[in-house]
Amino acid sequence: MAAAGFELEGESTPVRVLVKQIWGCRGLWAMLARKDFFVRYRRASFGLLWAVVLPLLQAVVLAIVFSRVGKIHTGNINYIVFIFSGNISWNFFSTVFGAGSTAIVDNAAMTAKIYFPRALLPLVAAGSTLYGFSITVVILLGMCIVTGVPLGVSVLLLIPAIILMIVLAEAFALVFSALHVYFRDMRFVVSAMQTVWFYVTPIIYPLSLVGKLGTFLRINPVTGIVEMFRAATVGADPRWVASLWWTLGWTVGLLIIATLLHRRFNRVFADLL
Amino acid sequence: MSEPAIELAGMGKQFTKYDDTPMLVTRALRFRTRTKRSKLWALRNIDFTVARGECAGVIGRNGSGKSTMLTVLAGVTGPTEGRVTVRGSVAPLISVGIGFHPELTGKENVYVNGMVLGMNRNQIDRQFDGIVDFAEVGPFIDTPVKFYSSGMQLRLGFAVAVAAEPEILLVDEVLAVGDLSFQLKCFKRMQEIIEAGATIVVVSHNLAAIRNLCARTIVLNYGTKRFDGDTHEAIAVYHDLLGERREIDDAPVGSSGDGQLPARFERVELRGPDGTQTSHLRGGDEVEIQGDVVVDQPVDDPVFGLIVRTEGGLVIYTDSTPLLQGVAGLAAGARAQFRARFRMAVTSGPYEVQVSMRELKTGELIARPLAPLRVYVSGRDGVHGLADLGADLSVSRVESAESA
Repeated sequence: MAAAGFELEGESTPVRVLVKQIWGCRGLWAMLARKDFFVRYRRASFGLLWAVVLPLLQAVVLAIVFSRVGKIHTGNINYIVFIFSGNISWNFFSTVFGAGSTAIVDNAAMTAKIYFPRALLPLVAAGSTLYGFSITVVILLGMCIVTGVPLGVSVLLLIPAIILMIVLAEAFALVFSALHVYFRDMRFVVSAMQTVWFYVTPIIYPLSLVGKLGTFLRINPVTGIVEMFRAATVGADPRWVASLWWTLGWTVGLLIIATLLHRRFNRVFADLL
Repeated sequence: MSEPAIELAGMGKQFTKYDDTPMLVTRALRFRTRTKRSKLWALRNIDFTVARGECAGVIGRNGSGKSTMLTVLAGVTGPTEGRVTVRGSVAPLISVGIGFHPELTGKENVYVNGMVLGMNRNQIDRQFDGIVDFAEVGPFIDTPVKFYSSGMQLRLGFAVAVAAEPEILLVDEVLAVGDLSFQLKCFKRMQEIIEAGATIVVVSHNLAAIRNLCARTIVLNYGTKRFDGDTHEAIAVYHDLLGERREIDDAPVGSSGDGQLPARFERVELRGPDGTQTSHLRGGDEVEIQGDVVVDQPVDDPVFGLIVRTEGGLVIYTDSTPLLQGVAGLAAGARAQFRARFRMAVTSGPYEVQVSMRELKTGELIARPLAPLRVYVSGRDGVHGLADLGADLSVSRVESAESA
């Protein structure tokens, strides 16, 4: 917040100032995230239950369809649990990417009238999505226990996995939210990307099943996340660490681009809303 | 404390005007990019400072850069050139109720809105009861805002905005909305904020509000600062600017008569109390209208008339030269001079003064300028209505018989 005023010379915002402002807005961030989450379930009779039922239903349907049609086998791991373990992080990623990339334009009523660092809006998407996501993580662990998946110390991998998942999703959201202000096509580009992306991520199939194609799938930054979630629970592809490096590379690269974009355009996004 | 609250130095804001929204493909392939974009300076070379505790107005015609000025002062957009310095927290009253979500209750919205305006949880907790009281929404505070009337939403929004205790308040046309009793309440609250030492910038078309709140006003014209100083003078400048545009649209005032009429006004002027030509007066000023008439066809008994109207056409006053004192019989080529002195005892607003010459017996029009003189009057403060009758009001305490 501009609590102590501001001094502006030119259109760009120094990175140091930007980071300081975003940190200063953390209370607002938490408030907006809570608002977004609760508004979504406010008027529904089953309320929060939907946040649990929908991802479960999705996993069950995918499991039924692809075990019959694709004849995919996942060894001694229940196929539903296998899909669910990959799907929850994908769902988080695609929700944050989708909602975050349009956030600055969608909140034009606010952005056009008052200043706060614009990056806050795509960042709110991670906060509001985290509520439902944390429930699904508990369900995943429950499913593992029920279906007899041995959970060891490797469960702790979930912590870095979740952090990396949030940072990667936000890196994409920050870059695309800036681009979306200038190019309104981005909304559709993002939708198109999400549709294809689901299938090039090893969610409904294990990496081992695709053979040589796996080399290409590892370039996909979400592969590293999905594999890390599996490494923590149902077991991952033996070479999952390689995909993790790709994920880290993407994250760092996109964060640099996001920083450059927001540094340059933070103060002038409002001109195009 | 000596540092000004707002400081603009050589500030300019340029917008890129797209005739067509840029699209990814056309932009990437560099189609049309040259022809469809144009740069536009919304504000240029703006210098001014507003001291702490000062209340400054900003006026200007539509498109003069007023709204851009507000967004720049609110920090919503950065300047293209020059520097903008704002010292202190800013609450834009333009944004009453920003972030109000219809599904959330009044209470939840107070918290969200308050935080958007820069308050933290504790501050809102402390102010909460006051906000609800001021907004008069007590029984409905746990009802979703979508069931609120627009007036209730507005009251709640205003209440939150002023509760943020901003050091600098940016005011748009908000004071013009809501019912009268609430307007009065807002106005009182604003006065309190001013007394508490806040800096206020009012950007408005509502000249009455500007006159009431601001001693100093800046006039913007085509994105540049045209005037900066006393509000009364600023309003005069503003009206001159409005007049300038009219003169481009209409024929110049008093330059010629209608070609069909037997005579024409060569010159019509309105002179203020100091004897110079003006288009701005204060209520009660002594004015003189002077007109020169050239006669093309002989006239028997000419009568000169005067009419004063509001800009809306409501006639306030008409008069004509006494019948017996008229100039009798003007031959072709003769000249006559017309003068009228009167007191402009009216309230604030734009007025039109028109003169004419008629034939006494038939009442036929002989000469009249194409357009009336336009004048803006800054009336005495607190006087409303049409005429300023100059009442002398007083009140004194009278001890009642019972208490004695």
